[in-house]
Amino acid sequence: MGAVLLACAALTILTTLTVVVVLASQTIAFFADPAVTLWEFVSARRWTPLFADQHFGIAPLLAGTFMVTVIALLVGVPMGLASAVYLSEFAGPRTRRIATGVLEVLAGIPTVVLGYFALLFVTPFLQRFIPGLNLFNALSAGLVMGFMILPTVSSISTDAMQAVPKSLREAAYGLGSTKLELVLKVVLPASLSGIAAAVILALSRAVGETMIVSLAAGQRPLLTLDPRETIATMTSFIVQAATGDQPAGSLASRALYAVAATLFFITLLLNLLSQAVVRRFRERYE
Amino acid sequence: MSDVVSEVASEEGTDLASEPVAERVDTVRTDPVPVEESVLTIARFDLWYGSFQALHDITLTVPAKQVTALIGASGSGKSTLLRSINRMNDLVEGVRVSGQITYGDVELYDHGVDPVEVRRRIGMVFQKPNPFPKSIYQNVAFGPRLTGYRGNMDALVERALRAAALWDEVSDKLNQSGLSLSGGQQQRLCIARALASGPSVVLMDEPTSALDPIATDKIERLIHDLKRDYTVVIVTHNMQQAGRVSDRTAFMHLGKLIEEGPTDQIFTNPKHEMTERYVSGHFG
Amino acid sequence: MSTAERPSGGGLRDEGRGAVLARTRRRARNERLFRWLTGLPVVLAMTLLAALLYDVITDSYSWQVVEPQGSAASFGFLDGFAWFDTWERVVTLELRAGGASDAEIEEILTDPETRRIFAARHRVELMFSVDGRPWRWLVSSSRDDRVLDVPLFEGFRREAELLAGLESGQVLVLNPWLDLSFFAKNASRTPTMAGLAAALVGSLLVIGLVLVIAVPIAIGTAIFLEEYAPETRLARIVEVNLNNLAGVPSIVYGILGLSVFVRGLQLGAVVLAAALTLSLLVVPVIVVAAREALKAVPDTLRQAAYGLGATRWQVVSGTVLPNAVSGITTGVILAVARALGETAPLLLVGAAVFVPRLPDGPLSYYTVLPIQIYGWVGENDVEFTHVASAAIVVLLGVLAILYAAAFLVRRRFRRNW
Repeated sequence: MGAVLLACAALTILTTLTVVVVLASQTIAFFADPAVTLWEFVSARRWTPLFADQHFGIAPLLAGTFMVTVIALLVGVPMGLASAVYLSEFAGPRTRRIATGVLEVLAGIPTVVLGYFALLFVTPFLQRFIPGLNLFNALSAGLVMGFMILPTVSSISTDAMQAVPKSLREAAYGLGSTKLELVLKVVLPASLSGIAAAVILALSRAVGETMIVSLAAGQRPLLTLDPRETIATMTSFIVQAATGDQPAGSLASRALYAVAATLFFITLLLNLLSQAVVRRFRERYE
Repeated sequence: MSDVVSEVASEEGTDLASEPVAERVDTVRTDPVPVEESVLTIARFDLWYGSFQALHDITLTVPAKQVTALIGASGSGKSTLLRSINRMNDLVEGVRVSGQITYGDVELYDHGVDPVEVRRRIGMVFQKPNPFPKSIYQNVAFGPRLTGYRGNMDALVERALRAAALWDEVSDKLNQSGLSLSGGQQQRLCIARALASGPSVVLMDEPTSALDPIATDKIERLIHDLKRDYTVVIVTHNMQQAGRVSDRTAFMHLGKLIEEGPTDQIFTNPKHEMTERYVSGHFG
Repeated sequence: MSTAERPSGGGLRDEGRGAVLARTRRRARNERLFRWLTGLPVVLAMTLLAALLYDVITDSYSWQVVEPQGSAASFGFLDGFAWFDTWERVVTLELRAGGASDAEIEEILTDPETRRIFAARHRVELMFSVDGRPWRWLVSSSRDDRVLDVPLFEGFRREAELLAGLESGQVLVLNPWLDLSFFAKNASRTPTMAGLAAALVGSLLVIGLVLVIAVPIAIGTAIFLEEYAPETRLARIVEVNLNNLAGVPSIVYGILGLSVFVRGLQLGAVVLAAALTLSLLVVPVIVVAAREALKAVPDTLRQAAYGLGATRWQVVSGTVLPNAVSGITTGVILAVARALGETAPLLLVGAAVFVPRLPDGPLSYYTVLPIQIYGWVGENDVEFTHVASAAIVVLLGVLAILYAAAFLVRRRFRRNW
């Protein structure tokens, strides 16, 4: 019986290995093609593998991902932290249950629904105030994505804050701290590593998110930092390439894998970083 | 002594330690503190946690620049009384008080008095050392920074650490974490932290009960030195400590102040029989 | 510290009452502000959810101006309007008013194939009559021209204006995009004829297969980690591995599925490939929940079983697992909810966005609910938006049921050791 169970566990390791092998092999094949160079990949400014005139600079996709992610973090992290402070310092048991429930519901909304909401509700709403906002734009996608990561930031940060022992809070109050001062000067600094891990994790999720950007941000690779523009992210390109009809094994198809490899690499780094931060800087209160 | 005890027990028919003391007992006082020497006056103070009354009609005067000890069994309310002085009990849900505590010329439970202001002027040291996970310097500077101290912080930190008899041991490592110190050192750091805000009254809630005998000894000597400049109120369940460290002692039982007076008198010649039972170790 | 270096007296005297009071008031105000500011995100989240729900529900109904083509009914006024009428009665009345014979009506209603075709080409809507009588049911045809589409509340506001603006032969209807027939129709190029049948069956098939594949593997892995080899080096590797897998974006699983199952094993873009792909995604999720459930079983129970001479597997299967069932079930339900909403991996594995017939087995082409939604939103057609909204209502409804089920399971079977 133990052997069967071992096999189950081994399957998960096999999954990771397969991912790495598949991505690596296709990416190597991609760069092996004479039409592509690594230098072009990292430095060129145009990404048009699906057109006749093919360019393979990944910068526009990175810019798109970067822009949407930054907006999402700017929205989601402060709100997530504020919500965590509220839950760990202010909320009574009943309020805490309701608030946590609301956040869990938000976390459970499928991203395709959030993408629908961004495209058909947020964008028209914003277009009334922001001139030059395209139908597909990075801003709406980023805003909605911020709400998507809010529950993640909030729940991990709340755990980190609640881990700060009562004795420290008593010490601060005993010295004449207000609650605001307690949070800013004692609780937040003391739970910093947990908060950092939360942010990195949220960042990782935002980078890998597909449906919100596919529906609301567009699928047009463009090297820009203007959030009102239609752009493409790494993930939206992957969707576009996969639902198109490139023959398998073609250069365009391999480009898909190259982008996926980049994406995998980035999120893997972020996840490892998050774990390292927690391990290295875990607070000791005793 | 045991004959008396068993006689009383059989008479009353109840368990000694939980014997309820009659309502509105007049506290037995010896050598009451004259008004001009007092810094803190507790007057007819009651406290309820919800429907449970934890403090009954406490009246006590705390003399300046002396050490006053609160002793009694667990559940006697001594910690509750201590925490009432700097309004730490305000942080507990469902607490209600009546009566008054006067500090200097301010009535602490007056309507417009902000507990935050009270706590910045009355320092507290807790049972288990609780330095912040910050550097030693930052720990001591915490209080003054709250009040926006603009003077020479380095000098203030040094003064506080000297007053807590810790300077010599840490002067070369002020940037290290407060948690890197030993238990006794951490507690002295907490004392320095409390002193840095410049209070004139320092409250100590069983400050050595988590420490080893050597650390305890150092802190008891420190308390003795502190009373040159500060008024100290200390809660302790260790009677020998109270005897060593304090000038006046107040004995509490089940939320009532039974007897108070000079420490020598309380321990060698207690006037109330409950006090006598406690100090001779019959319960607690 | 000498006396001269400390504030004198009780300190509360130094500053003057005024300064202290001002500071107290400012402090109280800051505290209140702080409290409200930190509570704001939750309020905003609730607002977003409310806006989403409102939007999606109201968008499932729209007003339309319809110009009937060809052999549609005559729209002569019919007696006996009832709010809850049967489909059969409305169709009968409408066809009869249009001149159909009783025999023809009979055939449409009873012969399954004719009925199906009829149902696929017509829909029942709420019509606002032009000759003074307010409401009746209408059977419209898929060939009718949809001239104008107006959102629900805007239509209520502008009802009189819209009625006045009708040209001859046009009628104003309230089209209930989300109605029972929505569940019976397949995808279609015509918005009014589009439905969720194929997507629902597809989702059911895929999720069913995912459960069959993923649950045993996940539980097996969890048992391995908790009962057979905890704290060993191998277990550590598996754990780290699982943590990393949990952080991999779902689209990468799609890439894996595309390479290995669709192309590598040459399954093609079929249900089985989707199920295998989603299983990989869902296994780490179930493993976490299963481990928690196993950990929650007190060790004393295990010791007792071992003490009676049971083998390790007997202890696990006879004692530990039965007590962990509720925790594992909750985890599985939540994993199903997660898998139900996953779109990206399935897009890559080839879930079709337009599947005109029901999938019939693990090796057929298919679509699932979220993919269908994605397709309809992407159509960039206001009518398909209504269809998408209706589909989202269904998806959210199913998820709500699943979460409620998980909540009930957790509460009902909470053990007291």
